[in-house]
Amino acid sequence: MEIFALFDCIISPACLISQAAGGLKIGMLLFLVASGLTLVFGVLGVINFAHGALYMLGAYFSWQLMSITGHFGLSVILGALGVGIFGILFERILISRVYNAELLVQILLCYSVILILDDLVMIIWGDEFLSGLGVPELFQVPPLFIFDAIIPPFHLAIVAMSFIVGIILWFIMTKTRFGRLARAAAVNPNMLEALGVNINLLRAGVFMLGSFLAGLGGALAASVGSVVSGMGNSIIIESFIVTVIGGMGSISGAFLASLIIGMARSFGAVAMPLFTDGLMFMIMVLVLILRPEGLMGKKK
Amino acid sequence: MSFLHKDNFHRDAFLGLIVWLVLIVFYHIFPDPGIHDIIQKVFILGLFAMSLNILIGYLGLIAFGHAAFFASGAYTLGLFLQSDYVLSLGGLSIPIAMILAVLISSILAALIGVICIRLNDIYFSFLTLAFQMLIYSIILALVSITGGDQGLMGGFPKPPFLGIDLGRPFDFYAFTIFISVITIVLLRQIIESPFGYGLRMIRDNSERPAALGFNSQKHKLIAFIIAGSIAGLAGSLQALLDVGAYPEWAFWSKSAEPLFMILLGGMQSFLGPLMGALIFELLNDFVTANTRYYGLVLGLVILCFVLGLKKGLLDWILFKFNRK
Amino acid sequence: MKKLNKYSRREILKTSASSASIFALAGGFPNILKAENNIKIGIPTILSGRVAQLGISVTNAIKIAVNNFNNAGGLDGRNIELIIRDSRAKPDEAARVCRDFINSDKVDAIINAEASGASFAVQEVVRESGTLCLHSVSETTSLTANPSIRAWNTFRFSRQGIHDSVGSARYAAKIAEEKGLKTWMSVNPDYAYGRDSDDTFFWALEQFSPGSKIIGKGWPKIFQPDYTEVITQIARKKPDAVYTSLWGGDLVSFIDQASLYGIFKNTELFAINLADYTTMSAIKNLPEGLHSGTRYVAAWPNTQDNRDYDKSYTDLYEDHPTNWSWSASVAIDFLINALKETGGTDNKKLAAAIKGKTRKSFIGVGDNNSVSIRNRDQTIIDYSIGWGTTISNEPYMTGIQPADWNNIKELEKVWLTDKNWL
Repeated sequence: MEIFALFDCIISPACLISQAAGGLKIGMLLFLVASGLTLVFGVLGVINFAHGALYMLGAYFSWQLMSITGHFGLSVILGALGVGIFGILFERILISRVYNAELLVQILLCYSVILILDDLVMIIWGDEFLSGLGVPELFQVPPLFIFDAIIPPFHLAIVAMSFIVGIILWFIMTKTRFGRLARAAAVNPNMLEALGVNINLLRAGVFMLGSFLAGLGGALAASVGSVVSGMGNSIIIESFIVTVIGGMGSISGAFLASLIIGMARSFGAVAMPLFTDGLMFMIMVLVLILRPEGLMGKKK
Repeated sequence: MSFLHKDNFHRDAFLGLIVWLVLIVFYHIFPDPGIHDIIQKVFILGLFAMSLNILIGYLGLIAFGHAAFFASGAYTLGLFLQSDYVLSLGGLSIPIAMILAVLISSILAALIGVICIRLNDIYFSFLTLAFQMLIYSIILALVSITGGDQGLMGGFPKPPFLGIDLGRPFDFYAFTIFISVITIVLLRQIIESPFGYGLRMIRDNSERPAALGFNSQKHKLIAFIIAGSIAGLAGSLQALLDVGAYPEWAFWSKSAEPLFMILLGGMQSFLGPLMGALIFELLNDFVTANTRYYGLVLGLVILCFVLGLKKGLLDWILFKFNRK
Repeated sequence: MKKLNKYSRREILKTSASSASIFALAGGFPNILKAENNIKIGIPTILSGRVAQLGISVTNAIKIAVNNFNNAGGLDGRNIELIIRDSRAKPDEAARVCRDFINSDKVDAIINAEASGASFAVQEVVRESGTLCLHSVSETTSLTANPSIRAWNTFRFSRQGIHDSVGSARYAAKIAEEKGLKTWMSVNPDYAYGRDSDDTFFWALEQFSPGSKIIGKGWPKIFQPDYTEVITQIARKKPDAVYTSLWGGDLVSFIDQASLYGIFKNTELFAINLADYTTMSAIKNLPEGLHSGTRYVAAWPNTQDNRDYDKSYTDLYEDHPTNWSWSASVAIDFLINALKETGGTDNKKLAAAIKGKTRKSFIGVGDNNSVSIRNRDQTIIDYSIGWGTTISNEPYMTGIQPADWNNIKELEKVWLTDKNWL
């Protein structure tokens, strides 16, 4: 435990801002992915354990599109949309069969999909890791200096994008008819059906949105990282931690929790580099013990 | 032989003895070591899966973090047998190591259980998982004690005891099956006792027990501890087999394995998880020998069971039989 | 009411009978009819998941040698039969696979192509059985350097952490002197190989460049996708140099992400695992002037034998050999030679024919381009270790300088003495 290193960091503006900016970026990218997970749980009551595999698909789809079009923005958006469409198929063909089944069945179904997708991407794209999409031309500029802290403009863009997506998501869920219906469906689906709402369409729509978010997260991660089979497995655990800490079903909770985890990772790397993962799990344990419904979740 | 139809200890013990003897004979009829290895693995993993089924099948609590106890049993045995105590204890080393493994696992289960059982449903599941991953992180971090990500290296001695030399394949085979059978018979008594029926009551209807003046929290905790202890026993046997202990055994994917077995074999029959372990091991052996795409095959098999059969194989078989 | 928890004798017998027949069938799978006088070599390796390339490049390399051997008549008509199994990178699977090789398949030797963690598991299994085992992937020093881990029947053909580190540190110290590099940071994956690499590199650096100051260490988890928290620290502390043993996709991600911070303008990167075709070609905008060790490159050693090796592999597989390929090739070469010398598969005789042996090799830099298996710890020495700087196009590396093996062996002795392993 390097407590003094942590203390030194906090009192130095350069360090504080550097690590905080880093934490913000980690957190916001995580929020993008975790928001999809918590959305699906909140509305559909399903813990989509395969969410990380969707993230991986987002990376692969956008990689493929990038190698065809060479256009970053297009590849990312279309890649994410592709995952959204895959999500619709996934929901209609598989998930819908287990809505009323036990938790165990849902989890095993999702896990089997992870196993299948992890191998499928290797069959289709080969076993070697693929190179990332690369930072778009616009952002291939020198980094910014803020109070001696170095901040890459691309990271600011990612943070901004995640923030905007978060706002749009909030807007959709609270201000649009779709969102209101979706939230109502979470509480009383039968009533909605009786009122003539097409529940299946609603569910598919929500799942598509959640998958889109996962795919978007994966595509953005692929911009500065390699694309490889199994890359969803670490993000799913982190997303779960975020969802649990934030409150399952709460998007604002996911936002808050993602920031906490992002900062914990960033400053944790200074204070306890060999136990950062352990720190995440300790936080998860504490939250579950002290406030199981999460920071912004509703008490059942 | 009408006494075979009575569901009591004598019948169970008798059947257990028969099974053990049959497998001993089997060893000599089919001398292929590969088959023996599979049978041993099936019993070890079967114990692990059956211990989890106490919680899932009988209590209705889905524990995601059960492998924590498997790992604690394995590491306890490994660390003990690597220590200097072995020199002074000689032949008593392995029995003591195994008892310690079960003991430490049960203490760990008590500590974790007492916190987890306060929560219900998905929160219970997540908390068990969080604890398991925390333990995993600790195992990795304590490199000088546990070997970190490499696991316990350098092996350990297996001093003979009571004429049993676990270094000899036959002895190990007979011993593992013997311990497993005894444990299964004992577990059966627990499950078929009033305590066991209390568990089912908790699973089926969480209000009635309290109305009958029944302390379901205490029941849950005891069940949790029993489950953890048996998982620890399984872990210690695995450690003896591999002459080591690995952090992978504390990772969340290890907890998924008994879940698969329970799915494959069935959670409603007592021996379902054991059947599931058999299917899982055979699948494992067959698939890895024939294709690189183990995940694809396993995933498809699980999908078939989840969507198709909708129950484990043994459950399905018994379901068919009982319809006659 | 269904009585699901009671079962009749009939059901038990029926289930056991069907189980028994399944067992019999299962036993048959590994033992499908094979020519009985084949020389069997078992290869436990990783063929699935993200590190599948390891198993693929190893088995590719071995197959070339075995096909040549068999086509030339084998050992008096006896062919080599390879039995390749995937352990999915799990140590207990690796142990199970090895036990199967030994007990069911009755292999004559094992060429272990497991990663470091599983290699220790394999070591324990073969220690018990006495089967000849040639480790061809693990680079963790202690596998052969630690007397309580090595065994009479096990040999290591893959490069070793301590050798690489001494070679790396000597090169790094030279550059440090030329460019005035004083402060260092490290980024190593937090697992055995990474810790080993960090430990031995900085120990050796201390010997060559006593004034170097280590101002921070990053320990990301292996396969971690996001290195931001480590990179921000480097960007902030501005060390003169950074040492990293990250490899493969992780190294690509790290360099891509670090480039955003403009780190490499003021910090020299020493990435021992960078010069690997897949890695280099995957990095977007590879910065020039990064330093790397030569894991395997066709251009080094600069000999026709090495170029031929690369060509024979590439022609057949349309992909370059990897670092894992060369050690597997050397291992099978020594094994085939031992088979020829002893005329049979007796493990003790084969071990004796490998121990202390020196042979010419495309990767060798000893006398007459040879490599040797050292007597004392049964590990390979005099294999090519080089360092150079990166350029963005083929052959991706320039200014390659070879390591000095006399120097390496000297310092290795000091390090081993420190650890009480000598």
